[in-house]
Amino acid sequence: MQSRELQCKIASVGAWGSYFESWDALKELMQGGALPESKAKGPKPAVIPANERRRAPLPVRLAVESSWQATESAGISPEQLRCVFVSALGDTDLTDYMCKTLASEHKELSPTKFHNSVHNAPAGYWTISTKTMSAANSVAGFEESVSLTLLEAMVQCESEGVPLMVTFYDAPVSEVLRPLLANQEAFAFSLIIYPMTADVEGIPIRAKVENVGQIKWPALESDNAYISTLYADNPSAKVLCLAELLSHKASAKQEISMPLSKGSSISIHLS
Amino acid sequence: MDIDIIDYDSCSAAGVNLTELRESLRQHRSGLIKNNLPGSDLDTWIGRVSQVDDINDLKQWQSRNNSLAALGLEQGTLRRTLSSLINKYGSARVGIVMGSSTSSIDRTETAYTELDEHGALKPEYQQSLVHNPHAPSLFVANYTGVDGPSLTINTACSSSAKVFATGARWLEYGIVDAVLVGGVDTLCLSVLHGFNSLQLLSTNPCKPFDQNRDGINLGEASGYAILQRAGENQNGSGIRLAGYGESSDAHHMSHPHPDGLGARMSMTQALNRAKLEASTIDYINLHGTSSRANDLIEGRLVSDLFPKTTLCSSTKAWMGHTLGAAGITEAIITMDTLKTNVVPGSKNLDTLDEGLDFSIQAADQAKSCKHVMTNSFGFGGNNCTLLFSRAD
Repeated sequence: MQSRELQCKIASVGAWGSYFESWDALKELMQGGALPESKAKGPKPAVIPANERRRAPLPVRLAVESSWQATESAGISPEQLRCVFVSALGDTDLTDYMCKTLASEHKELSPTKFHNSVHNAPAGYWTISTKTMSAANSVAGFEESVSLTLLEAMVQCESEGVPLMVTFYDAPVSEVLRPLLANQEAFAFSLIIYPMTADVEGIPIRAKVENVGQIKWPALESDNAYISTLYADNPSAKVLCLAELLSHKASAKQEISMPLSKGSSISIHLS
Repeated sequence: MDIDIIDYDSCSAAGVNLTELRESLRQHRSGLIKNNLPGSDLDTWIGRVSQVDDINDLKQWQSRNNSLAALGLEQGTLRRTLSSLINKYGSARVGIVMGSSTSSIDRTETAYTELDEHGALKPEYQQSLVHNPHAPSLFVANYTGVDGPSLTINTACSSSAKVFATGARWLEYGIVDAVLVGGVDTLCLSVLHGFNSLQLLSTNPCKPFDQNRDGINLGEASGYAILQRAGENQNGSGIRLAGYGESSDAHHMSHPHPDGLGARMSMTQALNRAKLEASTIDYINLHGTSSRANDLIEGRLVSDLFPKTTLCSSTKAWMGHTLGAAGITEAIITMDTLKTNVVPGSKNLDTLDEGLDFSIQAADQAKSCKHVMTNSFGFGGNNCTLLFSRAD
């Protein structure tokens, strides 16, 4: 059997990074806008109740902020959405805390930090804060996190026939693991997608898995040094190659291919 | 749903493979022992797979989790089945979906106990492909030569149940022609001391659904199933994935919803997807962790949704709660009842919780099952239910 073409519609986008706090601000940066003077530390997503927000680690706040932006922008209530969250690196600050504590004499862990250390903490905080009882997935795909998760999201959306939110996020890596996992930038990006047949406004997106291996991630058109670093080092920011397509005028390039695995890739076509 | 289970095998403290697991189940021989994990003096019981200690030749892939993943893959006919599928369809047309909660954090823990004088990782621990949450799938792909898409699901204790849903959808859309789904989680200090911080560990062998249960035991396991679209392989197991349900509690990071609303949704969805009435379900392998909260909520829900003809048990007293590997371990025990015609008893159950009234007992029961179900619930309120049926 051949891989079927997946067809969805992108209804909205959310985005947060240290130098942009919205999708509009990210688009400006990608199209040559100047970098703001100050670097933001982290978002404070209003949707998480204040007492929970204080305890929410940075990866959770990143993921929930861009998710909330995308949901608001699509004008859909969150409980109607299935969701898929992906991070390639997880919460290395909590990994560092746990491993340091466990390497010491006194191995008592904070119960809150322990339950926050699960990879699906953002999915947990999101579904709890928004009262969403739909399916929530939380996945990882290392360098191919973005392509694998786009596949997972589009297959779910089409197969289950429901709108879905997909959120890509990765936070700076803690010191000990930094020589292995370079990322030093916070980044989150969300899409609300619908099945192609849904009666809503959106940009059509088509994807097909090809048995073509060993391809490289496409080069970005943006020459902004910060955007280039994000794209190179933050595995979730690999979605910027899709973000660039979404920010284009109608006449520009509309197709890219992303590596998926050693023996496969995924081609993405907008319109 | 038209997804066939072609092959499966399981590796846990209750048996290094399916043959041993069946024997342990039949003899009611538990793999739980007093905690003896190096570096941990917690007074609890664990389900440890001792053979893992002997696998130390994985080089840049070395971690306890990868050792257990490798040990599990060598059991039964898994490698042979996988090789024939790779030969038939090509390595890029076979996919991998693995579930895990710890990935290889055991290795990161060890690395931190041996940092150099500058506080940096020593060379043997500089393993970027191991110290990340996708490690199990990266390793399994490398080990088996599978080149198609490989994804890791990390939704805590529902991880390796959800792999069936993702694998089934990939097949439905022709993304691949066969999928190796599975799960692996190993005992490590993070989980032992983490669950201890939540005051969830028992100092005794666990007693799921018992009036006097006082907490959980942790275990380690790996397990795999190979899936294909129905009818495309005549050498399958005769078992079909008939349905699945996935839901969220929207309640709390580490406590289940008090009325089990999310769990109810995932069980109902699985029935609806399989187009089956609750009364047709012969057996449910429950999540049944032996925590006060889970068992009361899950037990009430089952008595509300299912008639007394549906037999139930928790098998966690055999190998402990294997966290991200619990989904696959219990999926295998569940589907295997369709072959053995024996419903395992709920080991260590003496007196059923007085707030509960459903069909659960300590002794095994002979029953020719046609439709069987299993529940997996995880932190973050993440629920998954799987439903398996005889293919004929």
